Amino acid sequence: MSDVVYRKPVQYNDAVVKKFVIATMFWGVVAFLVGVVIASQLAWPSLNLGLSFTNFGRLRPVHTSGAIFAFGGSALFGTSFYIVQRTCRARLFGGEAMANFIFWGYQFFIVMAALSYVMGYSQGQEYAEPEWHLDLWLTVVWVCYGIVFIGTVMMREEPHIYVANWFFMAFILTIAVLHLGNNLAMPVSLFTAKSYNVASGVQNAMIQWWYGHNAVGFFLTAGFLGMMYYFIPKASGRPVYSYRISIVHFWSLVFMYIWAGPHHLHWTALPDWTQTLGMAFSIMLWMPSWGGMINGIMTLSGAWDKLRTDPGLRFSVTAVGFYGMATFEGPVMSIRDVNALSHYTDWGIGHVHSGALGWVAFITFGALYYLIPVLWKREGLYSTKLASWHFWIATLGIVFYITSMWVAGIMQGLMWRAYDAFGFLQYSFSESVNAVHPYYVIRMLGGVLFLSGMLIMVYNMIMTVRSPSTARRAAVPADIAMAGV
Amino acid sequence: MEVETSDVIVGVMMLIFGLVGLTLASGAADDEMYVFGLSLVGFAAIFGGGLIKRHFDKVEARLRGEHHHV
Repeated sequence: MSDVVYRKPVQYNDAVVKKFVIATMFWGVVAFLVGVVIASQLAWPSLNLGLSFTNFGRLRPVHTSGAIFAFGGSALFGTSFYIVQRTCRARLFGGEAMANFIFWGYQFFIVMAALSYVMGYSQGQEYAEPEWHLDLWLTVVWVCYGIVFIGTVMMREEPHIYVANWFFMAFILTIAVLHLGNNLAMPVSLFTAKSYNVASGVQNAMIQWWYGHNAVGFFLTAGFLGMMYYFIPKASGRPVYSYRISIVHFWSLVFMYIWAGPHHLHWTALPDWTQTLGMAFSIMLWMPSWGGMINGIMTLSGAWDKLRTDPGLRFSVTAVGFYGMATFEGPVMSIRDVNALSHYTDWGIGHVHSGALGWVAFITFGALYYLIPVLWKREGLYSTKLASWHFWIATLGIVFYITSMWVAGIMQGLMWRAYDAFGFLQYSFSESVNAVHPYYVIRMLGGVLFLSGMLIMVYNMIMTVRSPSTARRAAVPADIAMAGV
Repeated sequence: MEVETSDVIVGVMMLIFGLVGLTLASGAADDEMYVFGLSLVGFAAIFGGGLIKRHFDKVEARLRGEHHHV
């Protein structure tokens, strides 16, 4: 007697995943384009155009929020909904209307936030610029997201909760706590877009960087690690190298990250012990970060040849390499004496972009190259050659970006601390600004390359969905197949 | 006619958001709150309309014997 159990097929909600995939590509273009504009403004200030709504101060949060929350956030929503349904064998909890609300509600938040920045409204807290009314709106959307994701996990048919879902749940819950904690503010009135944070002075700074660093740790790391733990095994056709490492990776990462924020406030009014605590936990983070990186890369054991033929997988694996590099550099920069040189310089900007472009964007590109043919039921990509072009152009762009910022940053740090024989500062601040000008131009060119790669991907994806050459071929009927024998 | 619980919950949410948007826009003391309030009303109205449309699309599909899925 057969013991095969018939399991009813699950109709996944892929419509919302498709919407988030399209939004990811759209916001990627917008965020990278604004990045190129503001990089050009830094090199040639006249490009501020003398208009309040096009000046650097207002466009910079459009770029950062566009890259992190619009591009990265849409990618996280979409992939988490795709992954949780398949790993739990359950349709999204909460119905079609709730999933649609999460999509459109989040897009509404992004558009309204960007509009408020260019209109000159901001809380003045990095990566938490939206004023109180937009924070409340995001809270509503985020609570719905948490209910749908965790509800789907609870409704699962699979007994086991796959590790990617643990990372996504940590991301959802911690971002909720961070968002609420950092945005506790008293509005001037219900009818004004102006509020004052409940904390002030150094307490406000510490809460801000508890939030800011964990936005990196839980939004830009934990969520994207969920992506890594699903798409690299799927694309390579290999199981995760060590499931045990992935669990150790998860618990150690979530425990340690939350303490690392004070390293953003070295040499400030923050008590020394707090700075040391932040530094110590940042250095300890090397272990889980590199454990995870090794686990991701070693998953390719026995399938390394696929890197030659699958550009999507090449993106994912290079992303893990950049993850390792950025998570090595971060702890180095958190050491107080290194920070004395690196803080307030463009080294920090280069570090952020090796993570944002190399890790976040590349792991997203890898996921998109895998997802789009699957979601739109196509035979494969329209052009693997174009995907390879995207890979090399984007990689070159990142190299331009981070090397120019290393040189500019270290030069700035050294110039600011140089003394002459009489004990006076050797350089004025404006001399350091003049000195970095060529590197700002190189950085802008790096951004142009990265944006060009993104546009190539958009074209490739549109053609993948539309071109007849990628249409899924129908199976050959049995009698015809027999006739050919 | 079968109505999904999720449709009702989200529909009620849209009603509340629409009213909040109208209140904010009517009393707005700055441009940002005025724009946000009006946009929230627009969002709630369009999303609510979409909910109603999708509901009747599903009903019609069921009458035609089609199996509707998103």
